Amino acid sequence: MNKTQKIESMMEVVRILVGLVIAYAVALAILFAISEDPIYIVQQFVLGPFSSPRRIGTIINLAIPFTICGLSMCFMYAVNKFNLVGEGIFMLSACMVTWVSILLAPMNLPSVVMVPVMLIVAMLTGIAVSFIPAIMDRKFNANVVVVSLMLNSVIQSLATWILRYQMRDSSIAYLGSLETPASIQLPKIFGSFRIQSGLFIAIICVVVVAILFYKTAFGWKMRLVGANPRFATAVGLSAVSISFIAQLAGGAFAGIAGATEMMSNYTRFQWTTTTQHGFDGLLVAVLAKKNPVLVPIGALFLAYIRIGADVVNTSGDIPTEFVTVIQGIIILLVAAESFLSGTKNKLIFKAAEKEEKAKEAKAA
Amino acid sequence: MTIDWIAFIAEGIRMATPLVFAALAALICRQAGMFNMGVEGMILCSALGAVIFAHYGGSVWIGLLGGIIIGLATGMVIAFASLTGKADLYLTCIAFNLMATGGTVFVMYLLTGEKSTTSGAFRSYQIPTINIPLIQDIPVLGRIVSGQSLLTYLAVIAVAFMWFFLKRTRVGLRIRAVGENPKAAESVGISVNKIGYISFAICGVLCGLSGAFMSMSWVTFFMKNMVNGRGYIGLSAQNMANGQPVGSALASLLFGFTDALSTTLQNQTNFPVEFLEMLPYLATIFAIIITSVIAINKRRKIEQGMAK
Amino acid sequence: MAEVMRMQDITKIYPNGFVANKDITFAVGEHEIHALVGENGAGKTTLMKILFGMEAPQEGKIFINGKEEKIANPLDAIAKGIGMVHQHFMLVPSLTVAENVTLGAEPMKNGLFDFDGAVKATQEIADKYNFNVDALQKVSDLSVGQMQKVEILKALYKGAKLLILDEPTAVLTPQETEELFEQLFKLRDSGVSIIFISHKLEEVMRICSKVTVLRHGRCMGSMDIAGLNEAAISKLMVGRDVVLKIDKEAPKLGKPVVEIQNVVKINSIGKNVLDNVNFTIHEGEVVGIAGVEGNGQTELSEVLAGLSSFASGDIKLNGQSIKGKTVREIRDQGMAYIAEDRMVEGVAGDMSIKMNIVADRFTKPDFKKGMFMDAKKINDIADQYIKDFEILCDSKDQPVRMLSGGNIQKVVVAREFTSGANFILACQPTRGIDVGTAEMIRKTIVKKSREEGTATLLISADLNEVLECSDRLLVMRKGKIAAAFPKANEVSEETLGEYMLGVKEMTQEEMEGLL
Repeated sequence: MNKTQKIESMMEVVRILVGLVIAYAVALAILFAISEDPIYIVQQFVLGPFSSPRRIGTIINLAIPFTICGLSMCFMYAVNKFNLVGEGIFMLSACMVTWVSILLAPMNLPSVVMVPVMLIVAMLTGIAVSFIPAIMDRKFNANVVVVSLMLNSVIQSLATWILRYQMRDSSIAYLGSLETPASIQLPKIFGSFRIQSGLFIAIICVVVVAILFYKTAFGWKMRLVGANPRFATAVGLSAVSISFIAQLAGGAFAGIAGATEMMSNYTRFQWTTTTQHGFDGLLVAVLAKKNPVLVPIGALFLAYIRIGADVVNTSGDIPTEFVTVIQGIIILLVAAESFLSGTKNKLIFKAAEKEEKAKEAKAA
Repeated sequence: MTIDWIAFIAEGIRMATPLVFAALAALICRQAGMFNMGVEGMILCSALGAVIFAHYGGSVWIGLLGGIIIGLATGMVIAFASLTGKADLYLTCIAFNLMATGGTVFVMYLLTGEKSTTSGAFRSYQIPTINIPLIQDIPVLGRIVSGQSLLTYLAVIAVAFMWFFLKRTRVGLRIRAVGENPKAAESVGISVNKIGYISFAICGVLCGLSGAFMSMSWVTFFMKNMVNGRGYIGLSAQNMANGQPVGSALASLLFGFTDALSTTLQNQTNFPVEFLEMLPYLATIFAIIITSVIAINKRRKIEQGMAK
Repeated sequence: MAEVMRMQDITKIYPNGFVANKDITFAVGEHEIHALVGENGAGKTTLMKILFGMEAPQEGKIFINGKEEKIANPLDAIAKGIGMVHQHFMLVPSLTVAENVTLGAEPMKNGLFDFDGAVKATQEIADKYNFNVDALQKVSDLSVGQMQKVEILKALYKGAKLLILDEPTAVLTPQETEELFEQLFKLRDSGVSIIFISHKLEEVMRICSKVTVLRHGRCMGSMDIAGLNEAAISKLMVGRDVVLKIDKEAPKLGKPVVEIQNVVKINSIGKNVLDNVNFTIHEGEVVGIAGVEGNGQTELSEVLAGLSSFASGDIKLNGQSIKGKTVREIRDQGMAYIAEDRMVEGVAGDMSIKMNIVADRFTKPDFKKGMFMDAKKINDIADQYIKDFEILCDSKDQPVRMLSGGNIQKVVVAREFTSGANFILACQPTRGIDVGTAEMIRKTIVKKSREEGTATLLISADLNEVLECSDRLLVMRKGKIAAAFPKANEVSEETLGEYMLGVKEMTQEEMEGLL
């Protein structure tokens, strides 16, 4: 049995790595097929992200919201609820943070007060929005996936309305909000890398979520409910309320992600569509196998391909959208149980046969 | 504020067309025991496929065929990942829809150099509308029933066909058996995977029709993310009707009217456009709540012994 | 006698490394009812799944009528004249009998499914072999015995010449079993060979002419029944004499622990699945519930465990009502629950042994250190119970699903027996596990009642188990208590069968004082 277990965990890692390699190869193949100067473009895609400190910094900066969104999806995924409302929350929380900060601007509060207040606003936004699909799942047994996707469309319109009618800056040519007060604009650090100080928020979030998952009773409850909800109920856990609370917690982290992105990168809110961050978070959570400690690694990988695509876009005029195709392939390969299962079973069969022979030899 | 009610009703029926196809597409998978959220992405791909085939083939019919072919192909992709690859169907569909959103823009850009719509680069084709003799001359009814797209009439036929297919054909019987007890079906030599593939194929054709309507009837070009949740709305419609074809069509019609209401009000009033855009989605959420509440109350009543 | 089927040197190893079959050779002759016996987990079902094309062996050959054949899927098997009646019925409840029987080989007319043809064909075969079923009825309305007939009809409709019956009598009453045997004889005489899987040796002795014994995935030999006795077969099966006697002193009854009063439960289709159930369990006694499966035992256990609600009546546990309470509250009131299906309600397979052992108690304050879990305490408890209950594993952090069935059940009982509850609700506690573990669990149940005064409700389909372990015995039928006996080990299986089937029913007066 021991051997079987070792083979299983080894193959799990191998599967993810092979999945990533295949997806990456597909990306390279696409680039090779469509560009006029394939070797240069492929080189740009692979090495471009590391070509300057600035770009390396950008990978890390991009990985910050991916990490926090990935953590958010870890909560949903841990209790097996594909509540995708993080996509909408990310946009709405950035919107709410902007709005509240503009309203609070006349009070001239210092950053140490403003930033925490903004994070609280973001978390409340996330919890409030996530509450809707979560309560519908709990009370009416409504499908979380469908409800959360519908809700994302509603939120997109709502955030756009707030932008257009509540905080638009009519002095600029494009549709954008008034400028946020300097007290909520997070500084850049590490000189030429220009890394956002939101990095600290992401690191704190990872540590908090990891402790929550593995060291607290609530984390254990969530994992038990996710592994087998009927068993969890039978030993006296309330599966419905645990998955309900997990979804709210996930919403709170999606809110933090949106706020961090807003405070780090923008001085005006100007989104009129959602930003894909919720779905990116799902990819990261799937790659990390819902383990919060592995989330930053998944996030960095995703950020690396994204920056690669950006580099290729500027230097070879190839649209960045192809990355979403790659992302989809990765999820499919990692999620497909039978992917490489033949190899795994062969290894296990060999190990078992060896053990059998050893037993027989002993008996004889 | 004056609203042309007859035009509104005709518009409602028109808007319901892609939803009916989407609902039937989701329905056939549900009967086979699969919750296929991928219809959203499948319709989107078909919509683009229809425009591309029509442009390069030079005919609206080639476009329609193209939509169906792409619908089929995308159905096979999801079926392969979830049935052969044994990936979780939810994840597969989410991943697929993600690929569809980006992939359609990518393909559109490669072919046209545009990232938002094909209207500039591709010739536009429209699926013909049909005027029904006699009926078209009846006041009111004529304006509503006659003069709709060919696909709208096809949607009505598709509902009847689906009902007949599930009840009276061998494949229909097997699909229902697989959906209810896959092990039982497997034990008598029915390949659950094969039935799954067949369901996805039928689903694909229906998604193709839905997509072709979007890009060759609703409007006559493809634009980024044009399906905009209609696949999910169709999915909810069949869910409300418990997978019954006629009920699903009626629920789709209801959502079609919400959609029409939203566009009619946008054109004819100065109500904030953002709130009107929310209408179809809010309607779906409320419909989900209402149907669940009814189902739960019914069960509770029986369990408390009040139904007797 | 000509051989109709031979399986040669079959080896099957499952993906989790479990060796289910090793070099098994098994052959069946014409006009033969051939018993395939072995303990649970000996590899009988796996071997039959291979023959029916549902599992692929790593090694071995299959011959049908002397010719080597590849059976890749059930369709191949059916085409070669093999039919299988599974232990768990393979029926589609919302379809009619005729649709179920013809499914997979449906009669067609003008390219469409011919429903009338299906009804006619079904009725014809049913009449030919004297099966009393109505082709137009929905399967969901049938009794268990009738469902089994539909299963056999399914195989016959497809022209089966070799019929595999996987523990067909497990869910039948003694009288239904008799009826089945009559039909099997008729089938044998008309040229159908039958593989009869069972671990009820008296049935094997009665109806079979040959027997093949499996043990731990290996074949212990095939022989003629004539000249054998039950003891000889059982020795081959388990390698030692089966110990079915449990020595126990008379119970010392204390105060009532569980009082079930007029409980009614109605299911989602409006049927009374619990119909005015009344009985009491006292300190220090084991109350057994026998009955054909599906007569309300599962519902009763779910209601007692707090997993589902009931319409009227009341249940008191240690003097307090459990109505409307959560599982947590009921467990705190003193209930422990060994679930019927351990993989569904007994463990979380992907989680560690440690987490599964403390799953019912880690939320309590004494497992916490400040905000966090007390890791040391939890580790110590897990190590202790792994030792006490002899759970065979590599470490306490190993996922439970990697263990064998018996060891998984040990994880379940390690948790439930140590929870400190004074009421143990044990549902099918030894189903599908090895003899050694089963014996340990049965003995512990009796020991706890005698030494700690635990009140136990034992619900089991294994008649030997309920008869041996219980003090008082109740019979459930159609959601009601149909009979009550003061001393379980004095009840004969025949008497029990009559009450289980409903040939006899006790009146309230007869059961007075026994509930």
